[in-house]
Amino acid sequence: EIHEPEEVSVWFREGSSCCQETLARNQRFTETPVNMPGADKETDLSERIESFLSELKRCGSGAGSLRGSAETARETTALLRRITAQARWGNAGELMEIIRKEGRRMTAAQPSETTVGNMIRRVLKIIREEYARSRGSSEETDQQESLHKLLTSGGSSEDNFRQHFTHLKANVIEAINELLTELEGTTDNISMQALEHIHSNEVIMTIGRSRTVEAFLKDAARKRKFHVIVAECAPFCQGHEMATSLCKEDIETTVIPDAAIFAVMSRVNKVIIGTQTVLANGGLRAVNGTHTLALAAKHHSTPLIVCAPMFKLSPQFPNEEDTFHKFVSPHEVLPFTEGEILSKVNAHCPVFDYVPPELITLFISNIGGNAPSYIYRLMSELYHPEDHEL
Amino acid sequence: SNVCHVAAPDLAATSRPRKADKDEEEKPLQAVLVADSFNRRFFPITKDQPRALLPLANVSMIDYTLEFLTSTGVQETFVFCCWMASKIKEHLQKSKWCRPTSPNVVHVITSDLYRSLGDVLRDVDAKALVRSDFLLVYGDVVSNIDVSQALQEHKQRRSMDKNVSVMTMIFKESPPGHKTRCEDDDIIVAMDGKSKRILHYQRAQALKKLHFPMVRCLEVGSDEFEIRFDLLDCHISICSPQVAELFTDNFDYQTKNDFVRGLLVNEEILGNQIHMHVTRDGYGARVSNLLMYDTVSSDTIRRWIYPITPEANFADQEGQSCTHSRHNVYREPGVSLGHGSQMEENVLIGRNTVIGANCTISNTVIGANCVIGDNVTLDRAYIWNRVHIADNVKVKQSVICDNVEVKHGVVLSEQCVLAYNVVVGPDITLPEGTVLSMHHPDEEDDEDEDEFLSDDNDVGYSKDKTKQKVFNPAEVGSEGKGYRWKSSSLDDTEEDELAECIWGLALSADPESDSESEVSEGSHDLGSHPASPELDDVKVFQNEVHGTLQRGLDENISCDNLVLEINSLKYAYNISLKEVMQILMRVVLEFPFQQQGAQISTAQYSSHLLPLLKKWAPVFKNYVKRPQDQLDCLASMEEVFLECETHWAVLMSMYQLEILEEEGIMHWFNQGSTTDKSQQLRRNQGLLKFIKWLQEAEESSEGDE
Repeated sequence: EIHEPEEVSVWFREGSSCCQETLARNQRFTETPVNMPGADKETDLSERIESFLSELKRCGSGAGSLRGSAETARETTALLRRITAQARWGNAGELMEIIRKEGRRMTAAQPSETTVGNMIRRVLKIIREEYARSRGSSEETDQQESLHKLLTSGGSSEDNFRQHFTHLKANVIEAINELLTELEGTTDNISMQALEHIHSNEVIMTIGRSRTVEAFLKDAARKRKFHVIVAECAPFCQGHEMATSLCKEDIETTVIPDAAIFAVMSRVNKVIIGTQTVLANGGLRAVNGTHTLALAAKHHSTPLIVCAPMFKLSPQFPNEEDTFHKFVSPHEVLPFTEGEILSKVNAHCPVFDYVPPELITLFISNIGGNAPSYIYRLMSELYHPEDHEL
Repeated sequence: SNVCHVAAPDLAATSRPRKADKDEEEKPLQAVLVADSFNRRFFPITKDQPRALLPLANVSMIDYTLEFLTSTGVQETFVFCCWMASKIKEHLQKSKWCRPTSPNVVHVITSDLYRSLGDVLRDVDAKALVRSDFLLVYGDVVSNIDVSQALQEHKQRRSMDKNVSVMTMIFKESPPGHKTRCEDDDIIVAMDGKSKRILHYQRAQALKKLHFPMVRCLEVGSDEFEIRFDLLDCHISICSPQVAELFTDNFDYQTKNDFVRGLLVNEEILGNQIHMHVTRDGYGARVSNLLMYDTVSSDTIRRWIYPITPEANFADQEGQSCTHSRHNVYREPGVSLGHGSQMEENVLIGRNTVIGANCTISNTVIGANCVIGDNVTLDRAYIWNRVHIADNVKVKQSVICDNVEVKHGVVLSEQCVLAYNVVVGPDITLPEGTVLSMHHPDEEDDEDEDEFLSDDNDVGYSKDKTKQKVFNPAEVGSEGKGYRWKSSSLDDTEEDELAECIWGLALSADPESDSESEVSEGSHDLGSHPASPELDDVKVFQNEVHGTLQRGLDENISCDNLVLEINSLKYAYNISLKEVMQILMRVVLEFPFQQQGAQISTAQYSSHLLPLLKKWAPVFKNYVKRPQDQLDCLASMEEVFLECETHWAVLMSMYQLEILEEEGIMHWFNQGSTTDKSQQLRRNQGLLKFIKWLQEAEESSEGDE
């Protein structure tokens, strides 16, 4: 940290000035230090990364994490912007390497929180695009890589990212800011579409508590009267909170136990659920009990609609066993106070279900409705194929 | 003592406001971590490695404690070490806690002079390390409790009640019979139901009968109080800086138990209170013996301590990230499993460990770089690093430390311990509870006190020494290396208890054998725990007087000699004359109760007491001379008779024997009383009659003159 090349310090000064520009646009991050010496900035950055990592590790002792995944996505992106602004890099290749390195740590800290990985991939894609734009080549050609091209190009194309562009940093930060703005608006964009899907006097079923679905239903309730049945989603019973929240908006709400899902399904017009992750094959990794719900809906031919913002789209496939599941403390299943029985039985408390794509009718994302079969296409638009593995 | 700041407190890092919303005045939360157990429970394992560094699910125990502290918001931790301090320091320097980015700044403070928790806290006070409320934990506490709520309650109580509450102890609800309950630590707690104030705290182990000071509970004047036996002491307490000061003031406090009991006994005098917090969701336990080690390990594997789980790699060690799959099977990278081997359930296998064919593994933790042969059966085995296990070995509920070699055909029965570098086998069956170590058990006696001061050099030295002694092939097998630490099946020596203690009390056949180890921790089982040395002497003196009188009765010793003996006792225990009198009175009055039981009738009582009084009247007369003496005597009598007022007839005989005089009695009677009870006593019919008779006798005698 003592021996500092001249070139790098130049970059720093520029970096902080871009920071100032972006700050003016985004008031939330005004506490960014402006005239900080380089070394101090570095420690500040790594400190922030550390605290984010430890927060990730701890987040969510229950089923749903303490904060929504939207918030995690925003925080990740804001941190990546900070890394872009404050870390030392000379060209796009170096920056991508830094982000990839930190990204690997972040995803390892909480593998079940896929939004973190998704946002890292989005930012990597942004850097690729900005680099391509700076070079003057159209991003479209990069995007549309044919099979032939993939086959012949062989090794990584990162050798091409070594060129130095003065405005790259500013451009990348600009693009990340756009991404942040997009993230801010996802829930609104989804709930705006509510009236197209929910009609008067319909019976809607949902499970557990999804902030997106909650906003979606509340938006529809402003114009229409309908009935919501909430499956409580034991053992954490987030369904109870959902029902309370819906009641406050004067929506007629019924809470049912998970075991009654099938029995009640025949009365339901539509099932609207949220999800933790949308997998690459169009399947879901959603809260426990969703598979039951989806199968019941299929049996009764009830349409199953999934409200999922784009940042939940993950290039992960359901066979990646190690990170797919998440088991939390069995406390909710069999309380610690039970005593002797605990040493005689194994109690497990899994959090997620896999829902295969054929059970899903429609995805509603912030950019509109899509069928599960279209997910692969969205995936290739959002992420660069080389970034699937961080 | 030498203070070493491993992570120099990064001024830039600490001074920067970590969270903008935090109150400026709010001081960072501090913690005192005692990385020493101050007992030898884990001997012989802890001869080579301090307890805090022993691996639990492949992570050192101290890392769990530090992770708990950090996640609960502690920003500065003082780690106190004594036994093998250099090893702990080295470990911490390498760990993530000492990186400049760590949110929890760790200072290591070492001294060879610490002998107990009391010493550590006295040093905390002497060095003025803590500025406000701090957490006090041991280096072997595993927990995921969020103490913020308890901390808030604690602060609220202190701000409301002018710092009366000095400590909040954290408990976890777990009913008797729960696996995570440590039998050594079974406690009975009485508390005020509303304010959560602890009224009585007592260890319950091996107690058949429990004396319970109801008086103290009633004095508090609370509407409801609870007596609970379903609590597990998490050994986490929120202390105010006063706690350290109190330890300094009371140099005889050694353990937390001493402190809590001392504080409760002297509550009226010092005006300090202790409160408690019972956590609902969190997990907290202390690894205080190997049975607890077994339990806590299995709880970790079964994810009770989520989010502290093996795959979380919270210690952030390279290459230790493991995967979690069905039935709680965890694998670190580089594990190879032979054909036909099964990891049934609750298994954790460390990196680069090789397991042979057709093995059955369940409820087991295996460390890094181990080699395990074919047809091995492991159940509840805790195998540490670089262990070699050959073919056809069976292990049940045992601990196998680093670098141990188990040759083929060995069977380890339950609760065996193979300490560092031991070699066992081939083809030998170790009986239940075998403890093998490269250290000879006799070293123990040679070094004794120096043991605590010794460090790594000493270990090397003792190894040389052990080479002169011969390994017993019957104990460790024909190619084995190691000495057997005697188990309870043999004679009753000191080592026997140590070996027993390593697995806790659950197995020990007779509870008496525990007393030894308990005394070393400075705790007493009985309710009559001395609050101060002074009280102690009075108690002993009373017993001595009782013994003397009993002997006097049995051997018919003359009153003069009795007086002589009591006088010599008086000087031996430094008791004032007034106390001698009162104690003497009490002992004599209680004599019939002790001989005949407390339920005897008034008539029986008097018939027993009268001959004694007659016999010992000269003894009394020797002490009761001045009018003030008579008053003291009567006060003592009053104290005894508060409970059984019908026995007041004795007063009459005392008068007749001329031990007490009329003026004295009248003076005492007219003096008035302070409490309701003694007032009631004065209204006793028999007593009133006697007083009336006295008055009449006085008048008539006056009339005669």
